[in-house]
Amino acid sequence: MKILNIITKEFLLASRSGYEIFMPIVYLLIIIIFFNISISYVAKDIMLELLPLMIWISCLLICILNLETIFKEDYDDGTLEMFLIKNDGIEIGILIKILSHWLLSNLPIVIVAPLIAMVLGLDTATTLTLFLTLLIGTPTMSLIGSIAAALTISLRKNKILVSIIVLPMYVPILIFGTSAVNNSFFKMNYSTELTLMSFLFFIFLLITPLACSKALKISLD
Amino acid sequence: MDNSLIEIENVSLLRNDKSVLKNISFEIKKSQALNLYGLNGSGKTSLLKIIIGMTEPTSGFIKNVSGDEDLFKKTIYIGHKYGIKGNLTVKENLSYALTDNSDNSQLIIKTALETYKMTQHKSMLTKNLSHGQQKKVSLMKTLITNSLLWVIDEPYSALDDESINIFNNTAKAYLEKGGALIMTSHKEIKESFFTTKNYKIYS
Repeated sequence: MKILNIITKEFLLASRSGYEIFMPIVYLLIIIIFFNISISYVAKDIMLELLPLMIWISCLLICILNLETIFKEDYDDGTLEMFLIKNDGIEIGILIKILSHWLLSNLPIVIVAPLIAMVLGLDTATTLTLFLTLLIGTPTMSLIGSIAAALTISLRKNKILVSIIVLPMYVPILIFGTSAVNNSFFKMNYSTELTLMSFLFFIFLLITPLACSKALKISLD
Repeated sequence: MDNSLIEIENVSLLRNDKSVLKNISFEIKKSQALNLYGLNGSGKTSLLKIIIGMTEPTSGFIKNVSGDEDLFKKTIYIGHKYGIKGNLTVKENLSYALTDNSDNSQLIIKTALETYKMTQHKSMLTKNLSHGQQKKVSLMKTLITNSLLWVIDEPYSALDDESINIFNNTAKAYLEKGGALIMTSHKEIKESFFTTKNYKIYS
């Protein structure tokens, strides 16, 4: 009941914030259009080989775009203070915040990116792998990013710092994700990559709430 | 002992090697309003933050002697930031602040709105309200939740005389029901409706 309450509140706030929720999809479209124009001189089969990898990288970049907003608004208007003082289900509350952030800013591109890939001529099997890896990879990136966002929340301009902190931690996800997609494109086995990605996801699912609540408490001190 | 909620023992706070608070001890009791007053920068807000557990004191203790382990969950804190969402209406802000969604929640919100004379603004986004009205919305939260303790940082700032009266009256009623109030202000409150114990912070 309470969980649903927080999610509806986040969605209501997002719907009132204007067109910002369409930003990730617009960004994805822009990157893909520019990419296709710039590599239109390359042979078709090479382009198809590059396409899923390129989509993966653009999704990763888009996920970094608004990471710092996860807790920022709550911090600015003081809701975060009250939430932390209550000391009641902080970890769950943080997880719900990350979940609603993922639902609003990452899930749209997880759905749209494979569709674009299909339109551009990618085969069905690879498209499915692309969808699966993004579905496991993007929440992991949200979880990692929220730790960075929590650590830097008291800084006025934390956007650059957040990106720098998350980049090295995103490398394993990027390697496994692109490797899985690439293997799938050449009809090779990619189950190891998927397992490792799920492993990363569950690890960060366990670590993130604790790390975030600690980091937020420190930054409010 | 029965009436005590929180004991503050020898609390000191150092910030950047400068002493902000030094050996402060007092008790917070039920049905008592405590007004912490002092100059700007004398550590009023820091002391409030220590009491609610947001800041760790350099030395000293905050003891919960109320016998209720959940005392701090039943504490309402209103700080310099009001803790209301600008993109939600007054009514939505209040209904998300409700601790339990019982059947009479609508009635509770309605009463709170009427008390602070904000009924005609209930469907406005709070970001479009004036500073004082936003403050009133955050003070209304004290009326809609069941709490044992109010911790309010400068409740009088940004409020007009009428609203100050309203706040004083609600606080009086709350104290009579056995609640406790800690607040800060710049000056001593003499003409108060409720029994206030002033506590001056020397730094």
